[in-house]
Amino acid sequence: MELSRLTVRNFRNLAALDLELPSRGVVIIGENGQGKTNLLEAIYYLVLFRSFRGAKDRELVRFDEAGFFLAGESNDRVTAGFDAHRRRKKVTVAGREVKQLGQAVGRIVAVVLSPADRDIVAAGPARRRRYLDVLLSLSEPAYLRALTAMRAALRQRNAALRRGQAQAAWAFDIPFATAARVIGERRRLWVEEQAERYAQLCTELGERMTPAMAYQPHGGHDAARDDLEASLAVARERDLRRGMTTVGPHRDDLKLTLGGRDMRHYGSAGQQRTAAIALRLLEAESLRGATGTAPVALFDDVFAELDSGRQERLLALIGELLPGQSIITAPRDVEVPAALFDRPRWQISGGSIAQ
Amino acid sequence: MSAIDELTAELARLPGIGRKTATRLTYFLLKQPPDAVRRLAQTIQAVTERVRPCSTCGNLGETDPCAICTDPKRDPSTVCVVEEASDIGAIERTGEYRGLYHVLGGFLSPLDGVGPEDLRVDTLLSRLANGSEVTEVIVATNPSMEGEVTATYLREVLAPLSVLVTRIALGLPVGGDLEYADGVTIARALAARREMVD
Repeated sequence: MELSRLTVRNFRNLAALDLELPSRGVVIIGENGQGKTNLLEAIYYLVLFRSFRGAKDRELVRFDEAGFFLAGESNDRVTAGFDAHRRRKKVTVAGREVKQLGQAVGRIVAVVLSPADRDIVAAGPARRRRYLDVLLSLSEPAYLRALTAMRAALRQRNAALRRGQAQAAWAFDIPFATAARVIGERRRLWVEEQAERYAQLCTELGERMTPAMAYQPHGGHDAARDDLEASLAVARERDLRRGMTTVGPHRDDLKLTLGGRDMRHYGSAGQQRTAAIALRLLEAESLRGATGTAPVALFDDVFAELDSGRQERLLALIGELLPGQSIITAPRDVEVPAALFDRPRWQISGGSIAQ
Repeated sequence: MSAIDELTAELARLPGIGRKTATRLTYFLLKQPPDAVRRLAQTIQAVTERVRPCSTCGNLGETDPCAICTDPKRDPSTVCVVEEASDIGAIERTGEYRGLYHVLGGFLSPLDGVGPEDLRVDTLLSRLANGSEVTEVIVATNPSMEGEVTATYLREVLAPLSVLVTRIALGLPVGGDLEYADGVTIARALAARREMVD
């Protein structure tokens, strides 16, 4: 996958950029606050049509502007525009507006590696579910459709539960369970298939203890094997009391352990960082397998926090797993491994790029 | 607010009409002969005064009970449940259905504050109560998630009654192209396949 051209208008501090991106990629150097991460966020917005930093669309609009516009060219030209006044988002693929965002998701495929990734390991289960959801949605459209359907049914069911409308809530069991079964099954299958590779990647990155990952259904319930509709029926009274749906894949977790101990609570900062990088590399490898092309790699200042040994091991893995286009940001030249300087170097300052 | 702005604002409240179209309509009306405009205003007023919901089925018409409910040629043993009165027109145009109707007045959507008590389910149940001639209820809510859920809900509510509850078929559109149908529709059509009998 290659992003040949990028247009940015009024996105965060980036007023206007029209960039031709080299096929090997580029190294972007700039002090903090100049727009390095914003540029990567703009590129990744064209993958999922929302901020990878979890920001709301209106927060992405440059100060005092009415909206932002982004366009990227790979196989197709993909554009995303947001009108802050009308709160309207318009996404086009090859010149045609898509009716549902899902139809445009995955036209451009990229993977972000950033220091904030440590949260995948260190934060709550929602962060890890999101990791699985993004990766599986980009891998297969059916997953994204099921995820959208599951969320819609869940919102309705929970609204009915909050209002104490029991019968209306139970009527949403079928659409919820139908979609939830797909989600639970696909997540579990992926985790089972990739568990060994995950451990291997951690070890290659320098982890000496035994890493493991497993899909953990909330409360031991197993959406793939048990009957979710039956579990929903059993939990009815509790759901009504608490005004929310207490069983289903929206409560599951991706359990990451090191020597049998939960990494979230017992992993050191360094160990969590290594696990997060391993997960991102696994994401890259998995997307490459599903889409047939290596994703665009976006490295957001990730090398500085690694010691030279880990840096070298990571570089070796990148060469193997992310051989395509790489966009690498860092505050200073010295924080970028020399091996990555086989591509042009641009300077970013105040949202403008000097090539 | 000027008279022009006022009319534009009123027209812009109509479904599917934005600010731009509303302005165009306003200036169009201003160019019409006064008679034509008066006729339009009177027609709008008359329709809102004369048309009311049928207290039996919820259909909109100038009589209560409505023309369909009172038509002796219609089959009183089947009731077709629809979301809105406008759905009746769509089914009537086919000329394929000779039974009666029941308008729910929407679909279950707890997020929008629409619960079972906001739909005309009570009136449906009283129509089906003891001594009723109805033997079949056809649930013709929309094939959306909420429409399906409303159908499921009705099935539950109607289960204790000795009435056949059916759901209209979902699948490929007639004259459509399998190649261009979306995945969900094809999956539904496959699931609802039937044996070919001659």
